[in-house]
Amino acid sequence: MNLTDETLMAYVDGELDDEVRAAVEAAMASNPAVARRVAQQRALRERLRATFDRVLDEPVPERLLDASRSAPMGGAQVADLAARRAERVDARGRRWALPQWAAMAASLVLGVFVGRAWLSGPDAQSTMFASRESRLVAEGALARALDQQLTGTQAADASVRVGVSFRDQASDFCRTFVLRSAEGVAGLACRKGSTWRVEALAHGAPATGDSGQMQMAGAPLPPAIVTAIESTMAGEPLDADAEAAAQRAGWK
Amino acid sequence: MNRSFEVREQVAGLLPRLRRFARTIARHPHDADDLVQITVERALLRFEQWRPDTRLESWMFSIMKNAWIDEVRARVRRDRVLAPEEAGLDVGDSSADAQLASMSVERALAQLPDEQRIAVGLVLVEGLSYKEAAYVADVPIGTITSRLARGRDALMKILGEAGGPAGEDP
Repeated sequence: MNLTDETLMAYVDGELDDEVRAAVEAAMASNPAVARRVAQQRALRERLRATFDRVLDEPVPERLLDASRSAPMGGAQVADLAARRAERVDARGRRWALPQWAAMAASLVLGVFVGRAWLSGPDAQSTMFASRESRLVAEGALARALDQQLTGTQAADASVRVGVSFRDQASDFCRTFVLRSAEGVAGLACRKGSTWRVEALAHGAPATGDSGQMQMAGAPLPPAIVTAIESTMAGEPLDADAEAAAQRAGWK
Repeated sequence: MNRSFEVREQVAGLLPRLRRFARTIARHPHDADDLVQITVERALLRFEQWRPDTRLESWMFSIMKNAWIDEVRARVRRDRVLAPEEAGLDVGDSSADAQLASMSVERALAQLPDEQRIAVGLVLVEGLSYKEAAYVADVPIGTITSRLARGRDALMKILGEAGGPAGEDP
């Protein structure tokens, strides 16, 4: 049997099956040159190992322990969820990402809780929300925008800009929106019966100078916003055709 | 159960091995530890991408390999242009002979191309199987074995086959 160097190396590395290993060992027993080649390979391996094993005995620098203890973890983090969702959507060639959300530096108010200042404020926002049966619902310009506006054709400077549309687990339509206002407000509303129930609201400033091209990169999504969308959305966002069809059918 | 705590514990437990592998790649201890730090941060950040059918160390080695190839290598070379070659060589052993021997091994390894050095580090130092090493290096197994063979030949040549038994030439 002609034993190549690679075979002898594989022998030293423990990578041979039983048959070839037995053949190598037989050759080593009968041929000193083979035995010597194997011994050289083994010695090299041991020498390398001995050299670098010393690293194992060194104390681990504190900065590395710190990194393992406290460097930020991904996994279940919402920013990653949002990125994944955006990637999935992009991968299908749809135009919806969640750009408006990304631009919000916001704290989220879930459910019916809304800062008192909003509802009682003198600006138009106070007429965009109403409390009905202790739920917050869209009113006025917001309700009209949710009813009528299509993402592809809405004005860049509309007072309400609609973002993504999708169905929730109850198969009702939901839409995200951003209000063009000094303080900036974003939210998620779902069509329940004849009203848009506001499921989530974010409070913060959208990026200025936006023309519907707010950048996703680098802006961490407010965790509660993504959580609200993730926990609400069933399936994928509507594409432009589905959005238009839902609008024509009155979001039923 | 707090999963992220478990993950951090596992990663912390791998630090000595990560440092050892990094030293076969980056040679200078400080650069090697920089590489480990980047690897740890990246692994934690992308932890969801780890699949349990891959050993955690293999997965982290592959992150380290990519970090080295993609960015750290260039930075290190830039930084070392003016630094004396020996500046970072680690001398942690009390025996002068052992020190010299280790330095010559480190120096010999440092002369190999990255791809051979990584293959040697993974299989001969870290003890990975060919299959695992192929995963880490992201190449077919046949590529790993040929890099190993070339790397070993070069090391033997540089080291003058020291360590092998003397004589017995046919």
